[in-house]
Amino acid sequence: MSRFHAAWLLLLLAFTPQSVFGQDPSAVRLQQWVAGHDVAAIRALGRPVLPKLVQLYEAARDDGFKARVAQTFYELGWESPEAKRALMKDVHTLNHDLRLQVQWALGRVSNDQDVVDTLIANMRSDSNPLFRDKAACALAYDQIHLSEQQKVRLFGALIEALRDDKEDVRRIALQALQIHTGQTKGFDPGASWNDREQKVKVWQTWLAQYKAGL
Amino acid sequence: MANLARTIQGGFVTLIVIFITGSASAQPQAAPQPTPTTLVRYSFDDDLLDTGPDTFSVFQSGKGSVRLSLVYRFSGYRSVEIRDVPGDGDFPELQGYFPLRSKGKLYLHFAMMTTDAGEELNIALAGPQWFKLRKDGIAFWLKTAGGYLTEISDSMPKKLFAIRAFVWYVVDAAYDIDAGTYDLTIRQEGLERPVADVRGEANAASQPGSQIDKFSFIGDTGTDVSKVVYYVDDVLVAVDEAIVHQPFVAPGRRKLFFDYWLSAQRARATHPEPLPLMCLAELGIGSAETAALRQDGAGELLGQALSGKLATVPDDLPDPSRTILQSVIAWREGARALRGGDAEFALARFDRASQLSPSAPLPQMDAVLALAHLARWDEVDRRLAAILPQWRDDPRLPVALAMIGLARGDLDAVERQLQEGAESRGLLAEEYFLTLLWKGDSARAEAFAESMLAHGSAAERSLWREHLGDAAFLTGDIQRARSYYEASLAQHPRPRSVWLKLSDVYFKLGDLEQERAFRERVYGSLRER
Repeated sequence: MSRFHAAWLLLLLAFTPQSVFGQDPSAVRLQQWVAGHDVAAIRALGRPVLPKLVQLYEAARDDGFKARVAQTFYELGWESPEAKRALMKDVHTLNHDLRLQVQWALGRVSNDQDVVDTLIANMRSDSNPLFRDKAACALAYDQIHLSEQQKVRLFGALIEALRDDKEDVRRIALQALQIHTGQTKGFDPGASWNDREQKVKVWQTWLAQYKAGL
Repeated sequence: MANLARTIQGGFVTLIVIFITGSASAQPQAAPQPTPTTLVRYSFDDDLLDTGPDTFSVFQSGKGSVRLSLVYRFSGYRSVEIRDVPGDGDFPELQGYFPLRSKGKLYLHFAMMTTDAGEELNIALAGPQWFKLRKDGIAFWLKTAGGYLTEISDSMPKKLFAIRAFVWYVVDAAYDIDAGTYDLTIRQEGLERPVADVRGEANAASQPGSQIDKFSFIGDTGTDVSKVVYYVDDVLVAVDEAIVHQPFVAPGRRKLFFDYWLSAQRARATHPEPLPLMCLAELGIGSAETAALRQDGAGELLGQALSGKLATVPDDLPDPSRTILQSVIAWREGARALRGGDAEFALARFDRASQLSPSAPLPQMDAVLALAHLARWDEVDRRLAAILPQWRDDPRLPVALAMIGLARGDLDAVERQLQEGAESRGLLAEEYFLTLLWKGDSARAEAFAESMLAHGSAAERSLWREHLGDAAFLTGDIQRARSYYEASLAQHPRPRSVWLKLSDVYFKLGDLEQERAFRERVYGSLRER
């Protein structure tokens, strides 16, 4: 098992951007930590490590390694406009692992509105149901830097998605709302249009109260 | 301050009395009312500071801390200081436990003082679903946000007042479990009128009947940016009825850790779990179905459905692929629900999977296990008899029958079921050993553990040394139990249970220092700086 792990690390490192940092030993060590998923060691370097991670991400030739960097951003959970800018370039990639890691990481590096808007668009319109589902997961669990006003906007978009033509979109939008609030307000994604619309109005009333209390 | 403390504490007792008995003038002939019972009371001034499953835990695995403080206190001479450190990947926590409450009223009282109004802190009551917004999760939640003390009610933040640093606040909440609402009064040191007084607020996630069994004081959640330092004093939780407390049998616990462990194992074993999938044919996916899925380009969707990553089938997928995937999704949802304890839902999903794929044997057996979970024995027997012939040679059948027997409480039948070949089957061996313990047959349990220790792999030896310790502990040979437990710690994959059992052992041996050392490895400690 350990031999397999070591071989996997070597393979991953072969695709990492050695030239970015030349022979800088600290950079090589950072690559090893990313590939070996040693987030504690990376965290110990503090926020100054973020630009170096962004450089690693942008210079990587291999989507697998990029996914590991994205996963590192996710686990650090530190806001970084540079990381957000880099990750957004891959938010529509067709590489499964990279796409999922990017979707999950975005909300943990940024609270910019376009992050939420992009994830909402992926949740509603991506042709792959897995990507739609995982965009909803990201909206449910990973928007950790949103202000209360930004949460109102997110909830508004999720409530609007309850009106989507696609039942699976209505279902995952409801799941995201339920994870945020613990409630469904009686909304059933498979109910008739009239019943659904009635419950959407209940959600909208709740949102108006939420907004008024801020 | 001491006067205020006395006034407020007196006021709290009065509040309870009024709440429980009602107005004397309004109900002069009312029947005698139940006496309130204190579930939890911590002044942090006395020696009642033993951590444990029936008192509280202290978590400080990051750089933050939870300590006793002599510097600030609301009453007496000590309080608890909770200090969060940003960027350390964790948060400090004082988490307390009390018997599960499913109905009636519950009263929460505590004093708090923050040193920085702008830094986030969170205080909550929660139930068996822990600190999530859901039924039986967070019931009552206060936090500081943007300089305001805020309540989370009906899943939304509601500002109560602008909080001030270095000022004590006394919080009194009267929580109606059945209605899922609470009344909240907060008084500020030096002010006569409450700074917050709200009535009939929906609980955190607007969930009537949400159960509660724990409280928590922490810094921030998720963002890891708070550098709050705040103080808590005089924590009190009470209910509106007389209940009988089990006495403490050892520091921090009303049952020995060993007994908690044994009953938890029993509870786990008596809740049947779905059987593991061994091949696709068990879900009715044979060569014809595989070909159909391949032809429709749905092979990847099948993988997602099996791993629980596919909730719905794309609208444009034709039959029979569509039906196959729907059946897999239904079975997967049922398996997840059964693991989570929702046997009713699990049964419905397994039956749906069987309806969509009548030749699939696994959903049928899992449905029987769900019925066993629900104790619907007539249906268990009827359905089991119908499917037993096709499972006769399956290695998972003894496991399934043992789970059903345990759920039924028929330990003799379970023993018979497991005895044959138990030594050659890892999980079954442990289940067999535990069955002997539950039957009180420590001698045979020990002999079996000895044999497993002699023949087991290196990785299994720690576990069987622990189990030899279990058998010795049950027979009262505490010294031998200690030897086995200590020997098992070398290379034990999950030492937590052994630490706690060693805490029991040292308690029995009268070595309270070691008792505490092992207990605090799991539950933490509350000490002065």
